[in-house]
Amino acid sequence: MSPTRKIVDIPFNRVEGDLEVRVEHDDGAITDAWSAGTLYRGFENLMIGRGALDGLVMTPRICGICSTTHLMAAARALDAIAGVTPPDNAIRLRNIALMAEHVQSDVRQSVLMFMADFANPAHQRHSLFEQAQQRYTTMGGSSFIDVIRETKKILEVVAMIGGQWPHSSYMVPGGIAFEPSQAHLLQCLQIVRSYRQWYERRILGCSIERWLAVDSRAALDVWLDENSTQRESEVGFLLRFGRELGLDAIGRGNEAFLSYGSLDLPADTDAVASTRQLVAAGVVRRTTAETFDAAKIAEDVSHAWYKKALGALHPFNGETQPYATGREGGAYSWIKAPRYDGSVVETGPLAEAVIDRRPLFLDFLAGPGASALTRQLARLTRPTTLLAAMETWLVECIATHGATIIAGDGQVPDGQGFGLTEAARGALGHWVSIENGKIARYQIITPTAWNGSPRDEGGVRGAWEEALVGTPIADPDNPVEAGYVIRSFDPCLVCAVHTVKRNH
Amino acid sequence: MSLLGTEAPDVPTLMQSLDVDLLWHPSLSSLSPAKQETLLDDLKSGAKPLDVLVVEGAVVRGPAGTGMFDARGGQPRKDVAVALAKQARFVIALGTCASFGGFGADGEIEATGLQFTKSQKGGLLGADFQAKSGLPVLNLAGCPCHHDVLGNVLLALAANAKVELDEFQRPLDWYGMTVHQGCTRNEYHEYRVEEEDFGQKGCLFFHKGCHGPLVGGTCNKTLWNQRSSKTRAGVPCFGCTSPEFPAADPFFETRNIEGIPIALPMGVSRAHYMVYKGMAAAAAPERLKKRITEV
Repeated sequence: MSPTRKIVDIPFNRVEGDLEVRVEHDDGAITDAWSAGTLYRGFENLMIGRGALDGLVMTPRICGICSTTHLMAAARALDAIAGVTPPDNAIRLRNIALMAEHVQSDVRQSVLMFMADFANPAHQRHSLFEQAQQRYTTMGGSSFIDVIRETKKILEVVAMIGGQWPHSSYMVPGGIAFEPSQAHLLQCLQIVRSYRQWYERRILGCSIERWLAVDSRAALDVWLDENSTQRESEVGFLLRFGRELGLDAIGRGNEAFLSYGSLDLPADTDAVASTRQLVAAGVVRRTTAETFDAAKIAEDVSHAWYKKALGALHPFNGETQPYATGREGGAYSWIKAPRYDGSVVETGPLAEAVIDRRPLFLDFLAGPGASALTRQLARLTRPTTLLAAMETWLVECIATHGATIIAGDGQVPDGQGFGLTEAARGALGHWVSIENGKIARYQIITPTAWNGSPRDEGGVRGAWEEALVGTPIADPDNPVEAGYVIRSFDPCLVCAVHTVKRNH
Repeated sequence: MSLLGTEAPDVPTLMQSLDVDLLWHPSLSSLSPAKQETLLDDLKSGAKPLDVLVVEGAVVRGPAGTGMFDARGGQPRKDVAVALAKQARFVIALGTCASFGGFGADGEIEATGLQFTKSQKGGLLGADFQAKSGLPVLNLAGCPCHHDVLGNVLLALAANAKVELDEFQRPLDWYGMTVHQGCTRNEYHEYRVEEEDFGQKGCLFFHKGCHGPLVGGTCNKTLWNQRSSKTRAGVPCFGCTSPEFPAADPFFETRNIEGIPIALPMGVSRAHYMVYKGMAAAAAPERLKKRITEV
């Protein structure tokens, strides 16, 4: 390290959990980064020996913001073991609740956690700062208050389908536990429609159709200048202030993307997608698109506080025992390092957009590349790809009310299976083994494990560690730029912290 | 995150009407790291008053009592909780993990609650702990705690209203009724018309492991997200407000002897219950037996 280089440890708030990032900086820019999940919860160990269905109750409670997504992954793993495909209306009602969780999370994270820093005193010389304060100040800003009030309404949809948000367990092997009443489904439809109207008015400033016509960077500039409604919308403000702050030039990362795919299409539906899922599975490394293969996932513990296994292991064979050794031996995080076919990949809305070949985001990659701003734009506008299908599926559920909502007997035989889905913040997978009617092994890889992993045995940095390198750091006491880079990945450290299986 | 769902009143209105400053919140605060450290020092030393300390999540003591499974700047986070609790007028444990240890209480993280480990008084702060107000830790149990509870308890404290607690230091206003009360399947329970398979109309207590009659909670009184509850949606109550949550037995199953659950509704004697349920089943009307009545 040259004598001018300095180290700063940044404890992060507004990331849903326990994250400390150590960055080394020199001459006003970050030269290296180490991201540490500081909490070990041992969740999966607690599940060993429990009832076969208990993952449906335990895993949603890993996380207050991805609760429905954990339930989906757990239920899909049990579907796989039982060898059952849920009936169409169960697929729809699972999807709708998950999508409700996503469309609230995308907006809450963007405004309450990412854009909240627009009101940071570090920006007080910027021309838009006064407006940013009026909009995003914690508990007082106009956008802050409006987002809290409106986003909680969409969660009523989850409650009418599953009983409550967060932490329901209404998805069960082969389907769902109970069909909502016709009246509740109609109320859900009303709520989705009003949420869409609010989202179009406040977040986009235009119709979803108008937004989806924005298919290039040039078209984005036209959209931004088109009228004051669009310019003053949350997306408009994100773009204008984000560009002024240079967020389009930081946080590039290594531009390798993973999506597990999510939201199975019912057999008979009017919703349209390029695959049998609304969100496609895939991998893109640089510009090369590949077919996703779950067998290529492995987890490395070379820099994590676990007893060392024999290299990187697939989650069905994971060897993990916590071993708190402080800085000894280069370990610095409770997060393991998942790798796809040996590569670091990032996951989340930008990855989904790239893998779905959405032109605007492909144009960004072909031009300036990924950035904190592109990532956040992909998140804040993802509801544009979900809200219409939510409506379609609700209408279909209402039209077919009374159809079966479960296949099989709701039980699970011994066996091994995995359930993959997309959380709001990216790829989530559960790998489960049932023996003698009990859970014998439960392994979870979260989106934040993909994005916030430490180095692997090749010394290769995790996704956001890499994205931090080169980021300016004007004031080490208030490293707001690094915050934008990290938060553009929507970190969820509560669940990133790896939990382990006990060997018997 | 449950808290943001509160309706009566919503969070921004609540903060306004309480006239309080939210000094720090892990998901919502926008203080820079340096200012956050200064704030923490000022609170620990008492230089800045701390009216209410709300702790969410279990106190982690593992491995081997060191607390290093949950560190902050290389130091166990539990030490921060102890230092702040000494200065606070009121200390609130939000959720079952902070109240009683929850999931990790039997695990390698050696989790405990602030003033209880499961049903055992003690915990991190000790059985005799009193905050500066003279009140012990207020346990707002639940996984998650129902979204309306925290706001309403804060309003009660701000109004100097007496907050009556049960034996596990949970406010009676919110935990003094069973989850069963207000369940729309009550008639099916009353006449012992049971749900055996998912998707049926029927009571979830006899086969599906419902804890509704066994634990206190406001789920079916206040409802979730203003709309529903798990039992109304065909999902059994898992008993998440109990100091012993999660119970060791599998969820979605009821352990029973001769068709009568081993765990009976709060305070009920087995002999009386067996007679009562036998008579009730015989008296069940056709509309319930044929599952015509909606839930």
